[in-house]
Amino acid sequence: MLRGALLWVVPLIGLAQQDVFFFEKNVAPILRVNCHVCHSEKNLTSGLSLETKESILRGGNRGPAAGLIPGAVKQTGPLKMPPGRKLSDEQIAILEQWVNAGMPMPAALIKSKRPGADHWAFQPPKRPNAPSVRNAAWAKNPIDLFILQRLEKAGLNPSPEADKATLLRRAGLDVIGLPPTPAELAEFLSDSRPDAYERAVDRLLASPQYGERWGRLWLDLARYADSDGYTIDAPREIWKYRDWVLDAINKDLPFDQFVIEQMAGDLLPNPAIEQLTATGFHRNTPSNYEGGIDFEQYRVEAVADRVITTGAVFLGLTLGCARCHDHKYDPVTQREFYQFFAFLNNVDEVDKEAHRKDFNKPFLPLGTADELKRYHAWEAQLQALENELNQYKDSIPGMGQIQDPGVIERDKHIDAHRRRMPKITRTLIMRELPEPRQSYIHLGGDFTRKGAVVVPGVPAALPPLPGTGGRPTRLDLARWLVDRGNPLTARVTVNRLWQKYFGKGIVDTENDFGIQGEKPSHPELLDWLAVEFMERGWSQKALHRLIVTSAAYRQSSKLQPDAKAVDPENRLLARQSRLRLDAELVRDAALVASGLISLKVGGPSVYPPLPPGANSVTQVKREWNTSQGPDRYRRGLYTFFQRSAAHPALILFDAPDATVTCTRRIRSNSPLQALTLLNDEAYFEFAQALAGKMLKEAAQNDPARLGHGFLLALSRPPTQREQARLLKLLSAQRDAGKDDKSAWTALSRVLLNLDEFMTRE
Amino acid sequence: MTLHDQLLLERTRRHFFRDCGAGVGKMALLSLLGEKAFAAGRHHAARIDHVIYLFMAGAPSHLDLLDYKPELQKWDGKPTPESILKGKRFAFMDSFTKETPKLLGTRRKFERHGRSGLWVSELFPHLGSIADDIAIVNSVSTENFNHGPAKLFSNTGSVRTGRPSIGSWVTYGIGSESKDLPGFVVLQSGNRGPRGGAALWGSGFLPTAYQGIPFRSVGDPILDLSNPKSITADDQRQTLDAIQDLNRLRHETTGDEEIRTRISAYEMAFRMQTSGPELIDFAKEPRETLDMYGAEPGKASYANNCLLARRLVERGVRFVELYHADWDHHDDISKPLDTVCREVDQPTAALIKDLKQRGLLDRTLVLWGGEFGRTPMGEVREKGKVGRNHHIDSYSLIMAGGGLQRGVTVGASDELGFSPAEEKIEVHDVHATILHLLGVDHMKLTFRFQGRDFRLTDISGRLLMKLLA
Repeated sequence: MLRGALLWVVPLIGLAQQDVFFFEKNVAPILRVNCHVCHSEKNLTSGLSLETKESILRGGNRGPAAGLIPGAVKQTGPLKMPPGRKLSDEQIAILEQWVNAGMPMPAALIKSKRPGADHWAFQPPKRPNAPSVRNAAWAKNPIDLFILQRLEKAGLNPSPEADKATLLRRAGLDVIGLPPTPAELAEFLSDSRPDAYERAVDRLLASPQYGERWGRLWLDLARYADSDGYTIDAPREIWKYRDWVLDAINKDLPFDQFVIEQMAGDLLPNPAIEQLTATGFHRNTPSNYEGGIDFEQYRVEAVADRVITTGAVFLGLTLGCARCHDHKYDPVTQREFYQFFAFLNNVDEVDKEAHRKDFNKPFLPLGTADELKRYHAWEAQLQALENELNQYKDSIPGMGQIQDPGVIERDKHIDAHRRRMPKITRTLIMRELPEPRQSYIHLGGDFTRKGAVVVPGVPAALPPLPGTGGRPTRLDLARWLVDRGNPLTARVTVNRLWQKYFGKGIVDTENDFGIQGEKPSHPELLDWLAVEFMERGWSQKALHRLIVTSAAYRQSSKLQPDAKAVDPENRLLARQSRLRLDAELVRDAALVASGLISLKVGGPSVYPPLPPGANSVTQVKREWNTSQGPDRYRRGLYTFFQRSAAHPALILFDAPDATVTCTRRIRSNSPLQALTLLNDEAYFEFAQALAGKMLKEAAQNDPARLGHGFLLALSRPPTQREQARLLKLLSAQRDAGKDDKSAWTALSRVLLNLDEFMTRE
Repeated sequence: MTLHDQLLLERTRRHFFRDCGAGVGKMALLSLLGEKAFAAGRHHAARIDHVIYLFMAGAPSHLDLLDYKPELQKWDGKPTPESILKGKRFAFMDSFTKETPKLLGTRRKFERHGRSGLWVSELFPHLGSIADDIAIVNSVSTENFNHGPAKLFSNTGSVRTGRPSIGSWVTYGIGSESKDLPGFVVLQSGNRGPRGGAALWGSGFLPTAYQGIPFRSVGDPILDLSNPKSITADDQRQTLDAIQDLNRLRHETTGDEEIRTRISAYEMAFRMQTSGPELIDFAKEPRETLDMYGAEPGKASYANNCLLARRLVERGVRFVELYHADWDHHDDISKPLDTVCREVDQPTAALIKDLKQRGLLDRTLVLWGGEFGRTPMGEVREKGKVGRNHHIDSYSLIMAGGGLQRGVTVGASDELGFSPAEEKIEVHDVHATILHLLGVDHMKLTFRFQGRDFRLTDISGRLLMKLLA
């Protein structure tokens, strides 16, 4: 056999057939028996497949494999293959010869055949034709045809439209996060024009509160918080990013641009202040500054979190699974994780011991021209002082530095200068290093174990990056995410919006569109919406309007016994669903009912009353100076969010804890929620104010007052039974000697604690 | 449809039914409202019903307390052999790179205690006196040498944030027996809160109903437990009755079973308002009991919290976690260590004795320990004082309770206390063992999140067979 092989190694053109024969006869059996168990296209141990020429050349986590094979099989170095035994000398010689000859392989084995590339979600969405239905008159727009077709097939009828009052309250809570006031409700009820509802929806979408509602949901994805997490959890100034999100959504900044600016606004040509501010998206990662840490470790942690967040938010992929090993289900290798990582690994953040005040750099200072001038002068002076210190230090030998009086003196001086930092608003941004960091595969996910060097790239199962000539940048990645050819971003985005309106996404696993994810309940509708979204210029408002004005959305949420038997989880949408309000909205609805609400948009976060002791569990005690005046009554999204001790009224109602991206809020139902609404100082104050309105604004009789309270809290009049029950409570209170104010407060406490009050019907 | 059936229909049903084993999901849901779980939900017969985790925040010096190293004594003051330090990473590495650290023998006397002859230091006289009731687990190792991540690891099995804590996993897995208190309660004492805060008892991707609820030993034990000022108990009941009646009417109209869950939640909230104050009222505790713990009514202290932990367990609470700071003795391992040991030794021993005399120890696990240990090398930050740095390769825990060996030492560190000499015991192993005692197979208790079935023990975890009775 060796003799034949030796003949073959003479490189002769035109002997392709012979090469292939050699491979099939001599090499393939060795690989099949000894290597493929671990290193196949399916089972990519250490990221390596030895099945195709492409995959061998690409290599695994240790780098391209061709050069490694001879040493590994000879077992001369640290890498010894196959594990626990050794190939025969003859087999080793064959492999070596084959590698030296450039690894000729049959045509069928040249290209890598990664499994999963045919997965539905990786195919670009195409606009399907709207299906035909029997009851076409029901449909208000094409969404309804897709919904109705499935209902008719299952022998189900859609539910009737919800009554007008319910509809307006539902749309208000969904679109702007606030219930209508009695005046808005009256106006809507008296508007008999056929498009009264559409007009109301347009008013909602035009209101600045729309940006607050949907901005807050975007902040869930961004893991936004007002403190920097881990153990120190110091306040962090990044509310300007929050305001940018609100503003961008209110302006209906096209979603593709919205994404590009957040992912890479700093890399746009001559970026505007707003575009820099937008990059706060990926600066919301928690930071660790406790004593004795390796700064690089937590910087790496933040970069990995950015990869995972980008995967979940835009691609609906669980990229994080490939951090320590290849993804077990999806076509994402560990190498590809670190290629993605390489895009995000070049921000000028602290990676070694730094001054405490610099921990969160890079910052963007914001202010008037004068303020900025003062700030920059201060900054330049600081830089000069530090340079001088470093020069001085260089003049002292090694260990002497710490005790040197000159160093101590200069340190003091610098500290004093730092304390004189001009008061200015700053926000955290991304800023690329002049030279990108070298990125590696981290073997086993451990940042200290560096494997092969990687350059930025996207998973091979997805469309390639458009050619850019040089090393691709974060901006290239951003543009790729929202490229028309990207099969995932539009689908994932419309699905998440849909999820908020119906309680579940068309794909129930909203953050996993991979092979393990749930299949879409209405695949054609999903694609139709995705294409529509892109073709309407990525307008989020247009998408909201489309969904909210559909007949499917307008249905009553009342349980349908027939449908329940066929479709217990309401996947087919034969009705709407009752959904408990999001944490912030519970507060907002009470603020509206009580009339206390401040509708100021934006600005630094605020400090509404906090139950005593609620923040006593943190390592570092943080002040909570309860806001006075209108700031006491701001919407829930403005409550200062301290990661290690978030406001209990938010957390108990399932607000995300801002440690990792949150693509769906859970809706729990617990006794602690009851205690908050019954007893918390803030809610008692709301109840008293609501009672005040009932006493002041309604006609001077009990039923009128009660009716007014119902309109304020529930956007509807009471039923007779409800009225009777509450008047009974009123008289019991009066019998107990309560004055009007107290007795009506008892009633308003009832209203603010009703299931209906905290539910979108 | 019962409340529990309704809960089963909530939106996480998909997760519950997939791989949790029959009924475990249902058990999980029961804990939402503290209803009694039935044993069928477990994977096997449970040895215990409750866990009290005494978390010593800051990392106690095991070499001065529980892991006796006579050989280290001989090496006291000598530079640490390079072979030992090679390739290791430590917190505050800089101080080590400047000068080779010197080994530090303990300044404390160790003695054998009880019939079992466990080695315990003089700093723990009370714990020494109950040596025959406890097990000392030496050579536990962890993954990260910084407090925050290491605390996360001890509590969630991950150094990264966002994973559920062990108390959340347990109440998710098997619910609670308490009808009017949360299933997972967190207590805290010492000069500051534990680093990491709420993430240590957070529910991660599990529903928030499973997160640990911080109780306070003074004032309102639970936030917003008291009625607003001016609202009497009668007022509260009247208001609640009206809420419930109106919710029932709404249930008739909409048919939504979620409303019935809300009605139950409000009933439980009302019960908590009565049981909470009763819980922290030590008036009925006999003088001897208070003295045994060193508890003083009305004071925020570790001793009070230990007594509170017993009272919580008596009332059916599944998982009590008690944090006490601060053990981070970098600068000085002398007086500051004396102080915190005095705070902790007597109440911890009292808790174990008290549980035992009430027959509760057989159904409870008491676990004492920090996020890592402290180095066999001394650390000098200030002239004339010596402390110890963070050490993750080998540290010690105390475990006592049902299903466990008593009066044993499990695991052993090498002669200098640097690394495990026998088997390496990992945090995941401790977690697996705790779940096992509770009747839960750590491989089967999973939750699907982001496309993967997560476990408390990630992809590791072996039962500590030598520890199990």
